[in-house]
Amino acid sequence: MTLRERLQAWRYNLVPDHLIGEILTKRWTDNAIPFLALVVTVATFGTLIPGFFKPLSLQESTRQLGEFSLVVIGLTVVMLGGGIDLAVGSIFALSAFAAVSCFFIFELPVWVAFAASLAVGAAFGAINGYLIGYLRLRAFLTTLVTFIIGRAIYDILVVAFASRVQMSSATSPIWDFIGDGTALGISVPVWAAFGLAIVTHIALTRSRPGWHVLAVGGSRRSAYNAGIKVRRTVFLTYVFSGLTAATAGFLIATRLSGAGPGTGQGLEIAALTAAVVGGNSLGGGRGSVAKGLMGAIIVLVMTNGLIRLGYGTGTNQMVLGLLLAVAVTIDIRWLKNRHKVLNEVYVAPVYLAMGPTQSAEPGSGTPYALNNRLSVADAIGLGALEGPEDVILDADDHLYCGTRHGEIVRFFAPDYTRSEVFAHVGGFPLGLAFDASGNLISCVGAMGLYSISPDRQVTKLSAETARSLTSIVDDARLRDPNDLDIAPDGKIYFTDSTKRYDAHDWTLDSIENRATGRLLVFDPKDGSTKTLLDGYRYTNGVCMAHDNKSLFFAESWACRIHRYWLEGPKAGTAECVIRDMPGYPDNINRASDGTYWMAWLGMRTPSFDLSLRHPAMRKRMARRLPQDEWLFPNINTGGVVKFDEQGRIIQTMGDLGGASHAMVTSMREHKGQLFIGGIFNNRIGRFAIEGADPDWTGMRAYWGAKP
Amino acid sequence: MIFDPILDIFRGKAVTIPPLDGAFRPNTALDDAPVFAQMPAPDNLVFWQGRVVASSGANLMDPGGDVVQRFGADVTALAVSPTGDLAVGLADGSLSVGGAAVALPADVRCITALAYGPDGRLWLANGSASLPPGQWAADLMMKNASGSVWVQDGGWQKVAGGLAWPYGLLPDAAGVIVSEAWRHRLLRLGQGKPQPMLESLPGYPARLASAAGGGAWLALFAPRNRLIEFVLQETHYRLAMMAEVPPAFWIAPALASGRSFLEPLQCGGIRMLGVHKAWSPTRSYGLVVRLGADMTPLFSLHSRANGTRHGVTSVLEHQGQLHIAAKGGDCVLSAGHTAEAR
Repeated sequence: MTLRERLQAWRYNLVPDHLIGEILTKRWTDNAIPFLALVVTVATFGTLIPGFFKPLSLQESTRQLGEFSLVVIGLTVVMLGGGIDLAVGSIFALSAFAAVSCFFIFELPVWVAFAASLAVGAAFGAINGYLIGYLRLRAFLTTLVTFIIGRAIYDILVVAFASRVQMSSATSPIWDFIGDGTALGISVPVWAAFGLAIVTHIALTRSRPGWHVLAVGGSRRSAYNAGIKVRRTVFLTYVFSGLTAATAGFLIATRLSGAGPGTGQGLEIAALTAAVVGGNSLGGGRGSVAKGLMGAIIVLVMTNGLIRLGYGTGTNQMVLGLLLAVAVTIDIRWLKNRHKVLNEVYVAPVYLAMGPTQSAEPGSGTPYALNNRLSVADAIGLGALEGPEDVILDADDHLYCGTRHGEIVRFFAPDYTRSEVFAHVGGFPLGLAFDASGNLISCVGAMGLYSISPDRQVTKLSAETARSLTSIVDDARLRDPNDLDIAPDGKIYFTDSTKRYDAHDWTLDSIENRATGRLLVFDPKDGSTKTLLDGYRYTNGVCMAHDNKSLFFAESWACRIHRYWLEGPKAGTAECVIRDMPGYPDNINRASDGTYWMAWLGMRTPSFDLSLRHPAMRKRMARRLPQDEWLFPNINTGGVVKFDEQGRIIQTMGDLGGASHAMVTSMREHKGQLFIGGIFNNRIGRFAIEGADPDWTGMRAYWGAKP
Repeated sequence: MIFDPILDIFRGKAVTIPPLDGAFRPNTALDDAPVFAQMPAPDNLVFWQGRVVASSGANLMDPGGDVVQRFGADVTALAVSPTGDLAVGLADGSLSVGGAAVALPADVRCITALAYGPDGRLWLANGSASLPPGQWAADLMMKNASGSVWVQDGGWQKVAGGLAWPYGLLPDAAGVIVSEAWRHRLLRLGQGKPQPMLESLPGYPARLASAAGGGAWLALFAPRNRLIEFVLQETHYRLAMMAEVPPAFWIAPALASGRSFLEPLQCGGIRMLGVHKAWSPTRSYGLVVRLGADMTPLFSLHSRANGTRHGVTSVLEHQGQLHIAAKGGDCVLSAGHTAEAR
């Protein structure tokens, strides 16, 4: 091994590249960028500004943050519903003025002042909501108009009444407490924002009105078709936004005990920036309260920080503008390209040096030498079948197989020309086995382990096992259950081939070659599923040894057969019995003469074996070429191999032309005949085996003579 | 998009090839064409002594399958002079005209094409300075561009060098049009700089033959394949492949494919429910293109991924009949009257 190859092996086998793809599949990665921005902002200004984290400084900042967050929460809800509210700044100012005038000029109680604020907010929100929701005007222009009008009214009122406010001598302890006091060391605005955030979050994620808002924002037309009252929902989001802005306005009124010309100036831009920087989509439907809060903190820390560093309003506005531009760009690009990024980085190949193998070429003289025996097999179900991965025969000689349509098809003995759909399971039924009471147990790709009773009742036995501690994507779920066999005590031993790819993408696992295959056991007594072995390169066929003391299982991409001991001194451990085969093993089944049949789903090729030692090349291949162009192992040529208890190869058969059995994934011996299935084939093959016991059946070998 | 240059570092550019479209729209004309002669690996077709003959290995064969003449090494190029002499290039690098050996410059050891111009001068394409014609795949995988074109004008004169496997010659009054296989293009050589006539071919061009009524026939002996183009960019893998893998099983263009399970397979080439998809990515293909007088493609004849008439290296139009040597399909086809071929 050259140094370069050794470095590649370390690089690709020790660095867990696959985690990037797995993390990207998580929804919470949408929060990652705003969260990172938040940490960076706080850390930067925290170090630049001395005393940034001092309690007193924080107290004042958080008071402001509470008010600001209230506005942002309201705007977030409007944006989630697919709208935009530019009027929050003027609503904020007007409701602050309403509170101030009620309290100072008319000397009314605090609660009346608060009610007046809310009334102003609700009224303006309702106007917006009515125009946008019911009259279906453009949100941007409509709220721009209400913003300008509201601002104008406010400016007129402030000029007219500001002096009377200042002259007033009204006081109230409640007013002062709201504006200046703390409860448990935390100011009222923070409590208010905190409370509203929780309520809004729960409402959005767990209540009918919240879901309606998200549905309307996600797709207005679909929401309408689903029977949601779209117009009312939109209307309510603006009312909500008006109310939160009004609450914030009331809070600033108590804090400043007055209202000046600057109140609420530029608030709409700051709030909008906060909502978008937090990661709420401008298009609606995507976002959360938490994102809004993150954005609020980022924006406030940044603007306050800049002011304290001595920068003027112009700089501040410019920074906000730039922030908004970047956030909108990232939002749109990320939304558009996330699945592309995921596609490009998901395949994370590892290094594997395959051992040298014996030749399987015809005439090579090795036990693996392929011939054309399978090409003469009679075809069953030709043209009617699609994808019989496994085949099995019952006590009455009827033939069963799964299809890619999720059905179990039964062919009737003796000539197998008539067939019926025995049961519809869904998924992709792969491995099959009969249990002692005649139930057909199947590993259903993408679903789990299922049982089909003789009267066609489909029952789920297992779809999950224990989750492993280090998994990112939940690996408890069975992703690609592949083959099974049943021990005399009824325990079902089965394989789940890969944790990385879904059942229909099983071939992609060969490109990555990561060892994530499992051997599991299902105990029908207590319904439990346990993982026995983990970390094999595509665990596949399972077969109980004739003496039932051990079982054989195939590790496809490593071209190995292992024996797992159920009893004896080596119980619970696995040992490799056949290694470095020239073909990729699939299902394993018993033969009548005390040996075993193994299917080869494909053949190793020198170019693919070499690519396994060049993981970087495979990674680039997965990124730069469309999937149809990827280099694959040769799964256009398969075979049937017979081996004995010690792992010696006895016989190999193939179909080199590939016309009838290009790929073989299973075979089943029954009364002197061999039935052959293939996951990509359109038929089941049948041919007589020389020298086989003409009375031997799998049913009798497993469960004895029929009573 | 402004981020693309930055993102490209992380994602790499997609490998793309020209689509089979327009004049290259696929059909099954080659698979439908009747067999004119059956022989192993027919390579170069010429009309000589009143009949069509083809080189097959070290033999010159007639349409009946009889050996007309046997040579000491594989025949790699043929041409018939205006006076009826047969010029034969062999794999050992020797050239004979009318049975008499012709001395060649020391640099010429890989004769891939011969052609007589209208003025009677003999043109010669030397595919590579370092490798014999049989190792063309290695020449591509080594990314060589050491081929040259020569003309016999008294002595031998080098017309152009630094060509990436010149494989076909079409001399005319102004000079010669040469097919440059590894660069997928046709060049006009003559006075001054080589001038590209047709670029971005969807396959590797082989020999050219003149067509009645102006223009030419171009045989493309293998298709371009995105995996192969990708491997050509992968230095470490490519060199390791050349060192460790037998040439027949390389990820490289081929004259025929699917004959051994040790050959590379691409995802799209998987037999699905007994069907080998015609449009699947493949290492071998059959393709003949009719070019107009200005070398623009007019129409084409195909044998697609699931066909067998692959690896066309030479075409001959004679008296309105089109003969096609499918080297990978072990047969010479007769596509009938050229007007019908369309």
